Amino acid sequence: MDMMISNLQQQRQVTEQLRREAAIKRITVSQAVHDIMKFISDHEQEDCLVVGFSSEKANPFREKSSCILL
Amino acid sequence: MAGEVSRTPDENLESLIKEADTLKARLEDERLKLNDVTLSHVAERLEMISLLNIKPRRYLRGHQAKVLCSDWCADKRHIVSSSQDGKMIIWDAFTTNKEHAVTMPTTWVMACAYAPSGNLVACGGLDNKVTVYSLAVAENVTTQKKTVGTHTSYMSCCTFPNSDQQILTGSGDSTCALWDVESGQMLQNFHGHNGDVMALDLAPSEIGNTFVSGSCDKMVLIWDMRTGHCVQSFEGHQSDINSVKFHPSGDAVATGSDDSTCRLFDLRADKEVAVYTKESIIFGVNSVDFSVSGRLLFAGYNDYTVNVWDTLKCTRVSLLLGHENRVSCLQVSPDGTALSTGSWDCTLRVWA
Repeated sequence: MDMMISNLQQQRQVTEQLRREAAIKRITVSQAVHDIMKFISDHEQEDCLVVGFSSEKANPFREKSSCILL
Repeated sequence: MAGEVSRTPDENLESLIKEADTLKARLEDERLKLNDVTLSHVAERLEMISLLNIKPRRYLRGHQAKVLCSDWCADKRHIVSSSQDGKMIIWDAFTTNKEHAVTMPTTWVMACAYAPSGNLVACGGLDNKVTVYSLAVAENVTTQKKTVGTHTSYMSCCTFPNSDQQILTGSGDSTCALWDVESGQMLQNFHGHNGDVMALDLAPSEIGNTFVSGSCDKMVLIWDMRTGHCVQSFEGHQSDINSVKFHPSGDAVATGSDDSTCRLFDLRADKEVAVYTKESIIFGVNSVDFSVSGRLLFAGYNDYTVNVWDTLKCTRVSLLLGHENRVSCLQVSPDGTALSTGSWDCTLRVWA
């Protein structure tokens, strides 16, 4: 009997979850892809790992200067 | 949670199963209907990324065993890392100096995280606990500790959601939990995975209440932090998911898996939209992260390499070589100027 109740409980959770997911509003992949591409093109110029640094000095992790103070 | 389940008199196991099957079919149908293009096809017209010039710039040496996790401080300069030997180290990544080294009462410290203020770090692992250390007092960090939460299995991942007051953890006990740092109370728990939770990530919004988790059950789940409900789920991976990360736009998540692929799932299309894979890549992925624009996806592999993917064209644009063992963790710095990587070769490296 306990087994049956827990089965029912479990199945209820699974179904509940599916109900929630079925209620999600969806957009087409083309719209989603368009929005991702727009976000990237809007931010790409600030992306140092893509476009690099305006000068080597702008890179906070440039190699330490070889000039040594004696 | 059980309280809000509406009990209809005719609700029995059979009717529930039947309804679940109908819903599953409907979901499948709907997703298929909206699948009108592929990402890589749309991205064909884009320009190729010109040659990347990312080089190793710093070597952080000091761990005596495998580096398992690392996290950048919001100051873009410090890094916390944790290791298999039970040590947690706070690094100044500019100078490569170790500012603190903490010995944990356990080996395999699988997770560590900086709090937004930079004054606290959290870590844990095989001890099943998440412990917070205060860095504000300079002398002895080890004495400034506090156990915040305990799982019933190892803690695999943790992060501070937007403030120093709360910690979100994922565990081998298949759950995630949100804890109050001050009181140590569990504020919310998240049940839904059927396997060890390996990774989690917050949606990139300051008022965000959404996070993503990835698990050995091969599932990616999206959660509402307030209600504790799973709001979306994605399948597709064929093996354990080791890493999940929100796209900077907040509309998609990337994953890395033992099945040797990375994938991109779009939340609004409710669907997988890209797979990052190559025939020559046969080793598992341990960690993924995006560049700040989301154009690049960095992925650390068991074959000691970091592959850099063009997220749009779905092609590999670069390969970062240097580590002498598995790349276990990687993370782009908060301002996007550098990439940190940690490895089973006991070192961390900073690339820029």
